Amino acid sequence: MGSPSAAGRERGGAAKGLAATSAGVGTVERSRKLVVCVPQDPRVLDSMLPYLTAYYGNPHSRTHAYGWESEAAMENARRQVADLIGADSREIIFTSGATESNNMAIKGVARFYKSRKKHIITTQTEHKCVLDSCRSLETEGFRVTYLPVKKNGLIDLKELEAAFQPDTSLVSVMTVNNEIGVKQPICDIGEICRARKVFFHTDAAQAIGKIPMDVNNMKIDLMSISGHKIYGPKGVGALYVRRRPRVRLEPLQSGGGQERGLRSGTVPTPLAVGLGAACEVAQQEMEYDHKRILQLAERLVTKIMSEVPDVVMNGDREHRYPGCINLSFAYVEGESLLMALKDVALSSGSACTSASLEPSYVLRAIGTDEDLAHSSIRFGIGRFTTEEEVDYTVQKCIQHVKRLREMSPLWEMVQDGIDLKSIKWTQH
Amino acid sequence: VVDHYENPRNVGSLDRNAKNVGTGLVGAPACGDVMKLQVEVDENGKIVDARFKTFGCGSAIASSSLATEWVKGKTVDEALKIKNTDIAKELCLPPVKLHCSMLAEDAIKAALADYKLKQESNRESDKKADNA
Repeated sequence: MGSPSAAGRERGGAAKGLAATSAGVGTVERSRKLVVCVPQDPRVLDSMLPYLTAYYGNPHSRTHAYGWESEAAMENARRQVADLIGADSREIIFTSGATESNNMAIKGVARFYKSRKKHIITTQTEHKCVLDSCRSLETEGFRVTYLPVKKNGLIDLKELEAAFQPDTSLVSVMTVNNEIGVKQPICDIGEICRARKVFFHTDAAQAIGKIPMDVNNMKIDLMSISGHKIYGPKGVGALYVRRRPRVRLEPLQSGGGQERGLRSGTVPTPLAVGLGAACEVAQQEMEYDHKRILQLAERLVTKIMSEVPDVVMNGDREHRYPGCINLSFAYVEGESLLMALKDVALSSGSACTSASLEPSYVLRAIGTDEDLAHSSIRFGIGRFTTEEEVDYTVQKCIQHVKRLREMSPLWEMVQDGIDLKSIKWTQH
Repeated sequence: VVDHYENPRNVGSLDRNAKNVGTGLVGAPACGDVMKLQVEVDENGKIVDARFKTFGCGSAIASSSLATEWVKGKTVDEALKIKNTDIAKELCLPPVKLHCSMLAEDAIKAALADYKLKQESNRESDKKADNA
């Protein structure tokens, strides 16, 4: 890993770094959040500009210099993405984002092998696009096993092994969860799948560029990548598709046969260049960023937990990516806390932020009590988060949790020694 | 809504054991909304004080805060006429937040029902004391 680029960091410092985001269903995003969407790294923007202005050739046009320039840039970007994950350039397909990559991987593989294999395994805490793709496959006649997770958010490897069937074609498990930040045992899962000759797909949108990933060491066959989660542009992502042993998939988009016939459509050169640059920058900054983010995360959690009682961290404390922290503040409702912290950009795992009264399905999957699920807030710390922002957030958070607890009938009852679980609440 | 949230009126508690205080506790933590509304009523049946505490989103806090403002100075029967639609209109609540205003209406009714129950049981015990 190279030393960090001080110039790039300074320019990036202007962007507001800390964001607390919601883990809710169908949440309305308020402002910048470093877990869900992030500011672009200025180095990435710099790399893209020429392709938005002067070099506008179609990279698939083989017959003229404009096309060749764009093609060269696109192939360079492809190599940059591949380098980040230990893959070969020929294994990288550009897409419009991780949602498309997930759809392609899951539906594409399932449909290609459907004559012999009709079963898929995934987990209950996957991103909506994975869960929804699986559900849509079920209507096509596929069978899907949704593995439960333990209280710490990790899957049980024994349950995974038991879930395999003779006609399982694919296992899909995300690397880092976007709501609670836990990191699944990817290497172990890869081993298990390889031993049974079942393809292993992982949605690595939250992990890429933040923790080291190697598709060969981890025995990954398909991987989804998102541009805007690693300080790159929105609207672009990639799918890694292994060549040896060959993974075949049925394309979602029909057309001119671009991207090895797997994803037709003109590749958006500036966006691809941006994604490539983001990957290269991430590779350089990974170690430094990780150390800094870990330190900031510990600062945030320690400060909050030392000042405020009855705070629960959701998800395993060890096997996690430090930049995504999900805390439940008992007796305080999530959305009311969000309103108080509105200049830090928050959303919560509470129902009030969604159209239904259901709290986050991820929190439910880890067994969080419903009232705690309504009280959860996700904090995102990233490359551009400063210590001042963390301290400001912590101070405001502590102040408002205390204020809202004073206003909370639940807190009052608990102070009076009443056991909340013994009360018969009115139906709502 | 923001105003009521940042400057809530009448947060707090009244003595729930007092003879002329009615307490209503509605909602469920599992649904993300719990409101406690208390009213103090004088001998003429007029509500002289009201307090609330809420576990819920900004709209829930605003709805219950507004409810305490509205019941003050009304008689018990007038307060029972307060409808959730009035609360929702006053706060310009979007459709997704209407249940907050409904809960506030329920809280008012629950508090007044509790008060009435207390009055009846007090009259009963007074009668018994007289007859003894």
